[in-house]
Amino acid sequence: MNALFTSIGHNLFLVFGLLACAGAAVMILSTSAVHSVLGFLFSMIMVAACFLCLSAEFLGMAQLLVYAGGIVVLFLFVVMLVELTKYKEKSLFTTQIKWSFPLVLIALGIFAYTMKSNLFDAATPVALSLSSGLAEGLSVSAQNAQMVSRGLFAGFLLPLEILSVILLVALVGALVLAKSERVS
Amino acid sequence: MNESTLIPLISASQPVSYLWLIPFLPLFGFLINGLTGRRLRNNQWVNGIALGSVAGSFLLSVFYFLYLLQLPESSRSLHQSLWTWFDVGAAQIAGQRLTFATVEWAYKFDVLSAAMALLVTGAGFLIHLFSTGYMEEEQKDFRYYRFMAYLNLFVFSMLNLVLGSNILMMFLGWEGVGLCSYLLIGFYFNKTYAGDAAKKAFVTNRIGDFGFMLGFFLIFMIFGSLDYDTLMGSARSLMALPSITLFGHTAAPTFWMNLIGGCLFVGAMGKSAQIPLYVWLPDAMAGPTPVSALIHAATMVTSGLYMITRLNFIFVNAPAALHLILFIGALTALLAASMGLAQYDIKKVLAYSTVSQLGFMFMGMGAGAFTAGMFHVFTHAFFKACLFLGSGSVIMACHHEQDMRNMGGLRKYMPWTFWSMLLSTFAIAGIFPFSGFFSKDEILWKVFEGWYEGGTYEGSTLYLSAWLMGMVAAFFTAFYMMRLICMTFLGNYRGGGEDPYHLTVPGDTHGHDAHHVGTHVPHEVPWNMWVPVFILALLAVGSGFLNVPHALHFLGHAYFSEWLTPILYQVGAATEGVEVVSKVEYALMIWATVIWAPGAMALAYWFYAADPSWSRAKTFVKNYPNLFEWVHARFYIDEFYEALLITPTKRLAGQLWSFDTWVVDGMVNGAARATLLFARASYWFDTYIVDGLVNFVAWLLQQFASLFKAFQSGRVQNYAFVTLLGFVLLMLFKFLG
Amino acid sequence: MISLNLVLFISSLMFFIGVAGVLIRRNLLIILMSIELMLNAANLNLIAFARQSGTVDGQAFALLVMGFAAAEVAVGLALAVALYRRKDTVQADDINLLNG
Repeated sequence: MNALFTSIGHNLFLVFGLLACAGAAVMILSTSAVHSVLGFLFSMIMVAACFLCLSAEFLGMAQLLVYAGGIVVLFLFVVMLVELTKYKEKSLFTTQIKWSFPLVLIALGIFAYTMKSNLFDAATPVALSLSSGLAEGLSVSAQNAQMVSRGLFAGFLLPLEILSVILLVALVGALVLAKSERVS
Repeated sequence: MNESTLIPLISASQPVSYLWLIPFLPLFGFLINGLTGRRLRNNQWVNGIALGSVAGSFLLSVFYFLYLLQLPESSRSLHQSLWTWFDVGAAQIAGQRLTFATVEWAYKFDVLSAAMALLVTGAGFLIHLFSTGYMEEEQKDFRYYRFMAYLNLFVFSMLNLVLGSNILMMFLGWEGVGLCSYLLIGFYFNKTYAGDAAKKAFVTNRIGDFGFMLGFFLIFMIFGSLDYDTLMGSARSLMALPSITLFGHTAAPTFWMNLIGGCLFVGAMGKSAQIPLYVWLPDAMAGPTPVSALIHAATMVTSGLYMITRLNFIFVNAPAALHLILFIGALTALLAASMGLAQYDIKKVLAYSTVSQLGFMFMGMGAGAFTAGMFHVFTHAFFKACLFLGSGSVIMACHHEQDMRNMGGLRKYMPWTFWSMLLSTFAIAGIFPFSGFFSKDEILWKVFEGWYEGGTYEGSTLYLSAWLMGMVAAFFTAFYMMRLICMTFLGNYRGGGEDPYHLTVPGDTHGHDAHHVGTHVPHEVPWNMWVPVFILALLAVGSGFLNVPHALHFLGHAYFSEWLTPILYQVGAATEGVEVVSKVEYALMIWATVIWAPGAMALAYWFYAADPSWSRAKTFVKNYPNLFEWVHARFYIDEFYEALLITPTKRLAGQLWSFDTWVVDGMVNGAARATLLFARASYWFDTYIVDGLVNFVAWLLQQFASLFKAFQSGRVQNYAFVTLLGFVLLMLFKFLG
Repeated sequence: MISLNLVLFISSLMFFIGVAGVLIRRNLLIILMSIELMLNAANLNLIAFARQSGTVDGQAFALLVMGFAAAEVAVGLALAVALYRRKDTVQADDINLLNG
């Protein structure tokens, strides 16, 4: 029993990853849109856990905040707004489902086969590091957020600014798109 | 025949400037009244316009008449050409000749036109004046302006007829008076009998008009012109031709003249009410009485006589046509006079009298005495207008009673009217100093002379028989006129309920609403009614001295005949031949005026006045019931027409209608149906062949396109699937290949 | 230790679940969520590669992707709402104006 827990503890990433995939499966297969959203929420939380397992603590927290706290709520609002229950859907799935599933499985198989044929198998993980100028005064292994922020603002300042502009544009665009027509 | 004969003889004619105003003033009056009368509703204004325009025409006519008087006899002609009405270019006429004649809208004021214009405007004015009083009732409900406008239009048409300088202008007036008589007779158009009478007048006139049209078409084809001067100038040279070929028929000029004269006389028959087309005139009494006076006395009915006098150069050369005119005239005179004997409607008596007197005039024309006929036109216009207007006064005084049996004794109620009508009666009867004696006796003498021929008694017996008929008609005339006077004015008034001999009949009023019943007292009419009557009576008395026959030269001259000489083709052929006045002429004059006419009048007096119960007349009727019945029913001629002409015409019209419905319409509909079938066939071809080809091409393209159309589903997920497919294929190729 | 292959496998599994969601579901909202899922699978890879290469760039990049994803969700949801208002539907295959 103890060995099992130990085993699980050693394979936490696998557990969280599979749970995330299960949540995703619930999401795409559930008949109710709200269940789909809940499956998505679960999947996101599991992904955040995966991030923690991969020693990306800051991103894990960010994932939780952004997805579980913002996007999922947004989805829930929209689901309730469009009143999906009002329309009994003729069918949940498109007609191309009988072609899509095999194709997706084939693609997944190709991916699996490709990874199995030891493309990245030999590589071993190394500890995260920063260049000597940036890493000054930081405990790299303990202070993940500070490290990410230093790397971000050192190497990706311009993409970050562009992202901020894009977010602004998206904000305005979403406002324009979703606002109701003014009755003249 | 060369071109020089076609040149009009205008050298003796003077152009003047204001001639056009004579006919156009009444036209303006008509336009003003007709257009504004309904809105203005002011009868004083209407009166002013209507009377003023006619009075203006009259004064202008008098002015030009005086102007003519001071000209030498040979140049007594004025003319004014307003514009070219028709320009025929070059037209081929008889004998392969070309004519370049134009028809001018031109007026001509020569001796005949002057006389007629004076008559039309003068009598027309008096009748207008009378109308202002007679149409009192219509003044209240504003139908009045219409009446006055029609009267003005009538005067315009008539002046156009007599003043026009060519036959087409005359024809314009000719049709115009026909239209106006239709409008005026049918003035009370809400009454069936008035509408029927108007239609009858119009249709009967149309029959005559066709004859007239044929006549002047022939004139144009033979003479190459319609202008009076040109025609008269070329008549002599035409008559000198050995033969004239027209429409492939070659004949002597006399034949063509007879044909033209016959056709024109048919026109005159219709307009001047001769047998067999006289039937409209008695019925025309449905119009208001002034209309009767205007149409039947002074103007419209004289247009046929004016036409014959104006075109005397044709009739002189058409002996057969003249014989026809003589015979028809005599027959009309006799028949109409006899019909007048047994009528009770005062206006009917006068209507038949008019027809009869017109017959006398045509007798004169037929005997070649155009001036005598024209003179009778004038004297007749005076006394018949007087009698008609007087009868209008009587009818109005008796509150629209027209039956003479319900009158009587009016002499003391309306002395002016009585004396006027009595004088006119003497005139029409032909008593010596009155005008009728001079005119009628002249006609009868001319007719007699045709047989007498200066003492040889070798003339055609046609003249003798015509003369006999004329004498009998004159006797009848004197009789029925005296009968009218006796029944209307003498004895006691029977309309007020005092009727000891039971002579009255229940009211049978015409023309007006029978609005008045019960006792009433007749009264003299207002001044604007009796003054015209009195003036006309004075004219009827005195006008005879304008044309004193040669036999009575100690009394005066034949001024009228001399005045008309310039327009005559054969000057004095009949009048100046006899220098020595025959004793026979004196004998006949004395016989006519001393024994014949007074005898008839005395007989009428003996029948109707000397015996207030009319027992002698009743005994006579009792002894000869059929005779009276026939005369009273006007020999059943209307019924005869109805049975012989109108009913078959209606039946023929019905058959033609069915022919039209079944055959003509059938053909038209058949053609339509065939067209429809063809259209259907071509529609089918168009739909299935032409459109089919187009659609087939389009269909082919569509099928071809639908092969690829499936790729363009518009669904984004399909595209995503294809993307994934491509990705998978790429991977298979890359990593597994 | 967590092997890179395992991470890649999990992330590709997650990615293809997202692809399947996009391909088979008719609901526009679920398609949007599937897209988010695919982005997260990509993020997972980025973080795994960052850990494998020992640099912080992958994590920084994942953060940027997260921001883009947020923007994308905002616009996508706005589109869905607008579509619902105009066409009264959020079914993806009802929107086929480009149908030939």
